[in-house]
Amino acid sequence: MTINSFRIIASAMVVAGFASHATAQNMSEINIVLPEQPANLEPCGTIITNVGQILSRNVVEPLTVIDPKSGQATPGLATEWTQTDPNTWQLKLRDGVKFQDGAAFNAEAVKFSIERMTGGKVNCSNIAKFGAAKLTVEAVDDLTVEIKSDTPQPILPTLLSVVMVVSPNTPADKAVNDPVGTGPFKLANFTPQTVVLEGFDGYWGKKPDITKATYVWRPESSIRAAMVETGEADLTPSIAIQDATNPETDFAYLNSETTALRIDAGFAPLDDVRIRKALNLAIDWEGLAQLFGDDTKRASQMVVVGINGHDDKLAPWTFDAEQARALIAEAKAAGVPVETEIELIGRNGIYPNGTEAMEAMMAMWQDVGLNVKLTMLDVNDWLRYLQKPFPEGRGPNLLQMMHDNNKGDAAFTIPIFYTSEGSYSTISDPALDKEIAEAMAATGEDRTNGFKAIFNKVHDELALDIPMFHMIGYTRVGTRLDWKPDITTNSEIPLANIGLKS
Amino acid sequence: MMLGYIGRRAYHSIISLVGLLTLVFFLTRLTGDPSALYLPLDSSLEAREAFARLNGLDQPIYVQFLQYLQNLLSLDFGQSLRRNRSAIDVALEAFPATLKLAFVAMALATTLAITVGALAAARPRSIFDRVAGLVSLAGASTPDFWIAIVGILVLAVGLGVLPTSGTGTGWHWIMPIAVLMLRPFGLLVQVVRGTMISALASPYIKTAHAKGMKRHKIIFGHALRNSLLPVITVAGDLATGLINGAVVVETIFGWPGIGKLMIDSIIQRDFAVVQSTILVTAIAIFIVNIAIDLLYVMLDPRIRY
Repeated sequence: MTINSFRIIASAMVVAGFASHATAQNMSEINIVLPEQPANLEPCGTIITNVGQILSRNVVEPLTVIDPKSGQATPGLATEWTQTDPNTWQLKLRDGVKFQDGAAFNAEAVKFSIERMTGGKVNCSNIAKFGAAKLTVEAVDDLTVEIKSDTPQPILPTLLSVVMVVSPNTPADKAVNDPVGTGPFKLANFTPQTVVLEGFDGYWGKKPDITKATYVWRPESSIRAAMVETGEADLTPSIAIQDATNPETDFAYLNSETTALRIDAGFAPLDDVRIRKALNLAIDWEGLAQLFGDDTKRASQMVVVGINGHDDKLAPWTFDAEQARALIAEAKAAGVPVETEIELIGRNGIYPNGTEAMEAMMAMWQDVGLNVKLTMLDVNDWLRYLQKPFPEGRGPNLLQMMHDNNKGDAAFTIPIFYTSEGSYSTISDPALDKEIAEAMAATGEDRTNGFKAIFNKVHDELALDIPMFHMIGYTRVGTRLDWKPDITTNSEIPLANIGLKS
Repeated sequence: MMLGYIGRRAYHSIISLVGLLTLVFFLTRLTGDPSALYLPLDSSLEAREAFARLNGLDQPIYVQFLQYLQNLLSLDFGQSLRRNRSAIDVALEAFPATLKLAFVAMALATTLAITVGALAAARPRSIFDRVAGLVSLAGASTPDFWIAIVGILVLAVGLGVLPTSGTGTGWHWIMPIAVLMLRPFGLLVQVVRGTMISALASPYIKTAHAKGMKRHKIIFGHALRNSLLPVITVAGDLATGLINGAVVVETIFGWPGIGKLMIDSIIQRDFAVVQSTILVTAIAIFIVNIAIDLLYVMLDPRIRY
């Protein structure tokens, strides 16, 4: 081969294969980089973060939408709802809506979607929000459905925010990766590298500014942040605090997650309320906050502001090592075995600086005279301690955890943590069970006040857990987008809400 | 003769493969219940039982195993719990991406390492030898995730000459391959240099010098050929590692390969995909090993199977 022919081939390679990486892009097309690849695009799994961030309110739409400020259900594909008896709700559906495959949106389509979700033939994460409730759906007329539950469902409109309505042409007996809904975008492509959504011309609502969105995924926070900085991507949620260095593009937002430690109150010395209070008082909360960033908010309860039942007036525990020591001494004098080793169980990677936080808290507890020993576990092992049935032979323990409730109501938190049957609960208190049952059955102000009373009792009287911080998420948004994240960003990123700066 | 040898190796490999798949089947089940990871943490017991029933996980483990074997006979490798697709399709879709990356990285690393190692051995303790030693040692011992992230910060964010990650154009290949070949390059330079120094001290090389043969012919024509067997052994081992998946590179650069798929599937307890990825990589490793054995024969006529 002559030198000239080699040069020609090399030049051709450069032109053909090595075209510039900075590909031209239409101004209304955006790239979003997510932390994780969506394993599938089944609409019944939109409560899984990366599935919800792509599909929810983009491709498929729910019957109701939770207002991020008030936590109340607002109209989605259902425009009105009334409770006709404790177990029955009637919904009026939005008129003039079409699915992306041309099928009509009506009562039968809603019935199909709910039955597909509850039918047990599709792996469905969203159904978990309904607990053990059995739902039956009837079409009253073309745009009215009646939903009955075997148990009273005072917050059914809130629960309906996880019911994604799919085209009646969707297979009812198997999960899909090509969802068809009523949203402003339809799925154009799903490969191991990307998901592409394109605008749906027949959308019932206002036409979004964005015409096309391409999703890619990179686990490394620094890489995702760099992609937005270099213009390869326009938006990335959940970057690490150390990567959120640009005030122009990086937004902090309260993300509905609350960090805490669960106290296993079934074992001495943790069965003594004085020890549980001492655990809360022994922590230098201001010092600990340095590990979580300046924007985090101290928690006094397991739900954030905006969730029905959150009590603004409930103050968090403050640092008082002397009082903690006094309580421990008092318990010791009363015969409580305060020297017993308490296992502090952490989870690797649960949140940034999670291990360091556990090490610091262990040292603070040891400082007031408690015998606490840290064990860090991987997620699979840790899960055994989180959910019932708990491991046999465990002793007194404190469990590092992070709870996410962005569904508008404390009903998604209180029963799991504090009832005798709750899957995370370590206590059995019939009086508390009764109070919780009453609050769960109530509506309106009674419900709100009932939940507030329970959070107060759990905090002040029983000291059942150690609430730490309401967590902050950081999202990097490219300079050409007009959009800010909020409490719902961890579960959905509605493209229709993203504007373009001119 | 050679075909007989390949047949015997294939037969033994099938036995190993069945043993491996059996082991993997039971070991994956020891990691726990997939519903604990698939369903939300606050799922009811009823939801978990329904999930287990739907996916056949409520059956005793030996029943699941017999079903698995029966399905294997009809080449049914199961459905991915997470991906709503055939598990073997998921594995086969990811494998070519890894294979291409591994092939290019190993080809470049081996070629460069042989050249640099041979030249360094030709002039021991020269400046070239010392620089080559330093660079190869650094390449072999620097963590690849660090190189990858620094590379992105410098070349993509700082200078803007390369994309941060992803696939698509030729530019996207440069950083993943550079990072991936660094360690094999470093190790192979050391191996080539060592074996070449021994070879160059051999009596037949002195004879070649005495006969007035040209230096580059002695180095590349005689000494190198006789030094290649250990190099091939090490290169084969390194290639096997890359075929298993370049997890760090795949993760950082968003390369949709089998290594990351395998790790994700283990973490997510997607048993069918774990089994399928292991099957695919095991077969590939078997083929690589056969190829290495054949290369031995080509390079050293004394070797017979």
